[in-house]
Formats: sequence, structure tokens, C-alpha cells
Amino acid sequence: MRFLLLLPCCLLASIALSACTDFVEPNQLAFVMGTAVDRAEGGLIEVSDQIVIPSQLSGPPNRGGGSSGDAGSSIVMSATGRDVFEASEKIQRKMSRRLMTSHRIMLAVSEAFFNENDAGKLFDKLGRDPANNMRDMTIVVRGGSAKEILMLRHPLERLTSIAAGKELQINGLTKFSSRQLILEHYTDGLRPLLPVLQIEKVRTSSKESTPFAALSGFAVLNKQLRIKGVLDENESAAAVWMSGKGAYQGLTIPWKNGKGLLSFRLVHLKRTIRTRSCGDSKCAELEVKAQAYLVENTTSLDMSQIRNMTDTERYMNAEIQRDFQRTMNKIQQWGPDIFGIGEHLHRHYPYWWKSRQHDWDERFKTLDVTVKADISLISIGSSGGQMK
Amino acid sequence: MKLSGYQLFWMTSISSMIMFSYIPITLAVNEAHQDAWISILLGGGLMMGVTWMALRVCMQNRDKTLVRMTKDLLGTMLGKIVVAAYFAHWFLQMSMTVKDMANFQNLVMLHNTPMPAVLLCMLFLVFYAVYKGGITAVSRCAEVIGPIFILILYVQLFLNPQEMDLKRILPVYADSGWLQIVMGAFSAFNYMLDPTIILMLFFFAENKRTASRGILWGTAVSAGWGLLATFAMLAVTGPDMAAKMVVPVYSLTKMVSILNFIQNIDVFYIPLWLLGAFIKLAICLFILSYGLSEWSGYRNWRRIAGLLTVVWLGYVLYSAQIVQFSYMFRNIWLTGVFYPALYIAIPLLLWIVGSIRKRQQAAN
Repeated sequence: MRFLLLLPCCLLASIALSACTDFVEPNQLAFVMGTAVDRAEGGLIEVSDQIVIPSQLSGPPNRGGGSSGDAGSSIVMSATGRDVFEASEKIQRKMSRRLMTSHRIMLAVSEAFFNENDAGKLFDKLGRDPANNMRDMTIVVRGGSAKEILMLRHPLERLTSIAAGKELQINGLTKFSSRQLILEHYTDGLRPLLPVLQIEKVRTSSKESTPFAALSGFAVLNKQLRIKGVLDENESAAAVWMSGKGAYQGLTIPWKNGKGLLSFRLVHLKRTIRTRSCGDSKCAELEVKAQAYLVENTTSLDMSQIRNMTDTERYMNAEIQRDFQRTMNKIQQWGPDIFGIGEHLHRHYPYWWKSRQHDWDERFKTLDVTVKADISLISIGSSGGQMK
Repeated sequence: MKLSGYQLFWMTSISSMIMFSYIPITLAVNEAHQDAWISILLGGGLMMGVTWMALRVCMQNRDKTLVRMTKDLLGTMLGKIVVAAYFAHWFLQMSMTVKDMANFQNLVMLHNTPMPAVLLCMLFLVFYAVYKGGITAVSRCAEVIGPIFILILYVQLFLNPQEMDLKRILPVYADSGWLQIVMGAFSAFNYMLDPTIILMLFFFAENKRTASRGILWGTAVSAGWGLLATFAMLAVTGPDMAAKMVVPVYSLTKMVSILNFIQNIDVFYIPLWLLGAFIKLAICLFILSYGLSEWSGYRNWRRIAGLLTVVWLGYVLYSAQIVQFSYMFRNIWLTGVFYPALYIAIPLLLWIVGSIRKRQQAAN
């Protein structure tokens, strides 16, 4: 009798506990590695998902003379919709497998989308749906649609999204996740700075030149997430360092007399913001700090001379200061405070900040910001004089 | 049925942490923004005080449960009404916890499984544990689950070091001001810890001294966890994003990425939360059915537990249809009158009456 009672209970439990009702095997899943968001006709959003083809992923990437490499290890599916989910659902309908976005690495958004839509719309889906991990890198695609970037093949990696993720990581630029972007969007005294990908033609072999997506600069966004300007390569290095989001680790400067160059490898890159009251307004000072190793010297300086070393150090600091100040002024003209100086003021002068937070983009333009550099040359490498 | 101080420590800490990990952080952040930690600190301190007061009451009436206690101190009629309010509180808490648990599972993992199926599994387990072993079985389970549960929940708060920026809690005070901080504490403290269950559980404690020590420590451990969780939340996401999160502690696990390799660890946390919820629900079901049996005079509390489970299931299924029930926790009557009365006013009243009685007895 007791057994008869327990039996249906156990059977019922075994169905529910094994989650048979939500049974999805790995071979029923489609892993989305990258998503591209573009603007489509009539105010619609075009969403493209880069989906890995598992059967192409096993074995070495170029087995059989590159035949599998040519076939591609991913496909790009796209659809348009009024919002992100609607478009993703349309993609889902064409797929034999369930889309899984938990492992996405890259979220590429085209420049046109940022400029013509309210990009804040994307965040709702990112934050509300638990299937998003918010660790994926958000990047801006310039000159062309974001979809194209996904379709390109990368000479080194299997997927462009993996390549983009690695490219940022290997260069020490780590703070560009979509969570970071949402955070910056919500913070009053900080504006987003996003990496920009652009399609470049690169001659990878003697026969052909392949287009591939490479990091070409950084976009400066304002509070409404409109792109106010795009920084070129040199300015990017300065801006990223000054905004405290990691930095490129190389630096080359011409020597005073214009003869020869000095190149350094930089480690322990930091930046600090200091603010003080000056008159009615506030003044800010942004200091960048690093340790430098001399790695290339084409000047006539003999670095084993202590005088030359201190000279170099002083000159390098002055040079960086001048260079960075120029970038700072340029960004200030655009308006968005990507450095978080506003947030620093918010934290140190909260009452002063209260009345000024609403038009910070305008106020930042006229703020007095000085850039200081404190870079110490700690090594001249393994040779004193110049190698000839 | 006897409980040791050690078991009481795990039981109070688990059930308090379950309460803490769900609503109060969001409520506090909504009101006080980056000063939410002050609200949590205030609320946590207040609830520690309430726990201490409840313990004083229990120590004065060490051989009685809440039902007999109120009857002796406040008279039969008033006592029964007061206890009925506690019963309603526990029942609401149980229903809310189990409904949110089922909804959460449907949201995160089991998109197609019908909600009643998830619900039935949990209710059956809870009922079975209570029916078969009473509070002894539940406390043994708590002893096993507790160490893992608390350790891993504490560890979780430190898994995001690279994302954390403690400066996000600045500026302190200036943006919100006392009014908002107190408002945050006021709206959140009701859901922070779980001090009412000890009014029933203390009766079962074997050694009253170690038991009260265990309960205080258990409460302190979970209050500390709540405070740290608020800090972690603010440091990782900042106040504006944290205020928009419905299940903040879950979102925190989603953001963990250790060396870019260990990710999506929420899979490990969900079973743990379920185990914790099981303890919390089983404690509630037990004290409710035991209390009801004393209250009504019907001796067999096991049968009451069975009946109660059916009513509970019915109520949860019914309330799941009505969206308004899910937002009851913001109801001003509940947070402003009902909970403060249960947590502060009634224990205080019992304490005062108990003290006066004692003095009179001593005088005679």
C-alpha cells in the first residue's frame, strides 16, 4: 500500500527533477559568439548573430590545405525587427538549434545606429534578459555595417569576434564590457569611450590582400550615446590611458634636434585625477604615471651617461604632457567627459556638483584641465651606447 | 525534539540570509543610492536589536512557545489574536518565498516547465522533512547545508575583484541626506533578517544560554553578509544600475569572470539557494503547524502540516495568477504597520509585561 503511494510520487519527481520538460542537449544549441546591431529601413533594428558551426571547429583550423578554413567556421544570420528580441526571434525561427547568448564575446554596433537611434534601447534587453552575461565587449563599427565585420574572416583566429576580444585584451584594454558601458551611461560624471573597428585591407600573402577588421581608434560618446568624435591612433593611446581603461604599452618620441627616435616600453600605467577649487569654478589635474624601459634608440645619445638618462626622462615627460594635453583639449572641445573628472568632482565636491550635473557636457568644455606626466625611466635596456 | 545552540546558529543564519539576498538590497538602493550601505547598516542594527529583544522575551518565558507565552501574558483572547498575526506573517513569508523561488527558476533555467511542477517538488520535500522528522530533521539538514551555504555565499562576494571600484560608494551622505537614508532603512529592514522564528524555536532549545548565543551569532553573520553584499553590489555596478536589479545577488554571480575562464557560475549557486530556501520553508512550515496545533488545541501537528501544505499550494497557485500579489512587499500597510508591529511593538510589549509580572512575583 505504502509502496503504491510512493511510486507515483517518485515517478512524478523523476520527471520534474531531471528537467525533462526543458531538455536541451548541447547539440541542440547554437553558440552565439558575436552580435551585430545595425540600423535598418523604417526605424527597425537589424540584428546579426555570428554562430559557430561546431563541426568545423574540431581539428586544426587549416586542415586539408585550408579547405575547412575557406568554408568558414561560423555563419552569420540576421533579421530585422522593432526591437532586439523581435529580431533575435526571427533569427531563431530560421535556426535548427536554440540560440545561446551566454558566451557572447563581442557586441558590435554600427556608427550609424549610434547616431540615429537611441542606443539606450539596447541596454534594456541586456539588463533584463538573464541570458546575457554583460561581459562581452561593446565596440563601434565605423564605415560600413556591423554585420560585415562578423562576416569577415580573420587570418589568425577562427572568428572575428574572438579576434576582436583578444585584440583588446592582448593590448591591455580590458574595461570595455557592455556592463561597463551601461554603468557609464547611468553615471552622471562619466561618458563612454568605445573602441572602433574598421575594415582594413591587409596583404597577408604575396597573392592576395584580405580585408579584416582591426582596431582603428576610439569613439567618444555623449550622455545621449551619440558619437561626438572619433580619435585617431595616437590620440586613442593618450585618451585610453587618461581615462584609466588600460593602455597601449609602447611609446615613441622624436629627440629634441629631430635626429633620431626613442622608443619605450611602458609598464605599470596609472592615472590619477586631482581637483581643487580655483575661483568660482574647479580646476582639475590629471596625472599619468608609468615606468619606462628604453627599447630602441636611434639618436646619438649614449644612455650609459647618467646625464643623458635624466635628460631623456625630463624630455619624455614634457613631450607626453604636450601630446596628451592636446588630446585633452580636443576631447574637451567635443564635450563628453570620458575621463570621469565630473565623477571625481561629484565625489569630492558633492554640493558643488549638484547644481552642475545636468549640463556637464557643456561645462566640461570650459573646465581647466592640466595634464601632468610622471614617467620614470627605470632601464635603458641591455646596451649602453647606441648599437651601430 | 531538542535543538542545540549550534543547530540554531545555522538555522537562523540560513533563513536570514535567504531573506537578505532577495529584496532588501534593491529597496535600500532605490531610496538611498550609494548610501544604501548606511541604510542596510541601520536596518541590520535595528534587526539585531529586535533579535536581542526577542531573546529577552524568550529567556523570560523559557519553557513556553510563543502561543502559550502570549496567552499567559496578554490573556486568552488577545493572545490568540496576536499569535494569529504572526501566523499570517509566516504564511505570507512562506508563500512569497516559494512563489519567487519557482518564478526565478522559470525565468532563469526552466522556461517550459510548468510552475506548479517546480512548486510541487519543493512543497513535497518541505512537507516530507517536516512530517517525518519535525524540527529535528530540519535542523540536521541545516547543520549539513549551513557551512557550505554560508561559506560559498561569502566567497561569492569576493569573486569580482577586477570589476570592483569601491569609490563608487562616494560621495557619502551628500547626494541622499538623512531622510533618504532613513527611508531606505525603513523600507528595507522588514525584509532583512528573520527574528520572529526564534520566538517559536527557542522553546525547543536544549541549553538556553548556548542557544541564545547561537542565535545572536547566526543573525550577526547574516547581517554582516548583507552589508558586504551591498558593498559588493555598489562597487561592481554602481548605485544606478543596482537600483534597477530585481535579483541583485544573482546578477552579481552572472558578472563573475575569473581569469576570463571561470564564468557563468550561477549554475552552482542556484542549487545552493534552493537548499537554503528549503531550510527556510521547512522552518516556517514547522513552526506554523506546531503553533497552530497549540493554538487550536488539536494535538496532531503533523496532520496540520499536511493540511497546511495543501492550503499553501492552493494559495500560491491562486496568487500567482494575480500580479499585484508579487508587489505586496512594497505595500505601505505591510511595511509601515504590520511588520513593525510584529518585529518591534509586540516583542516589546511582551517584554514589558513579562518584566512587570516578574517584579510582582518577586514582591509577593
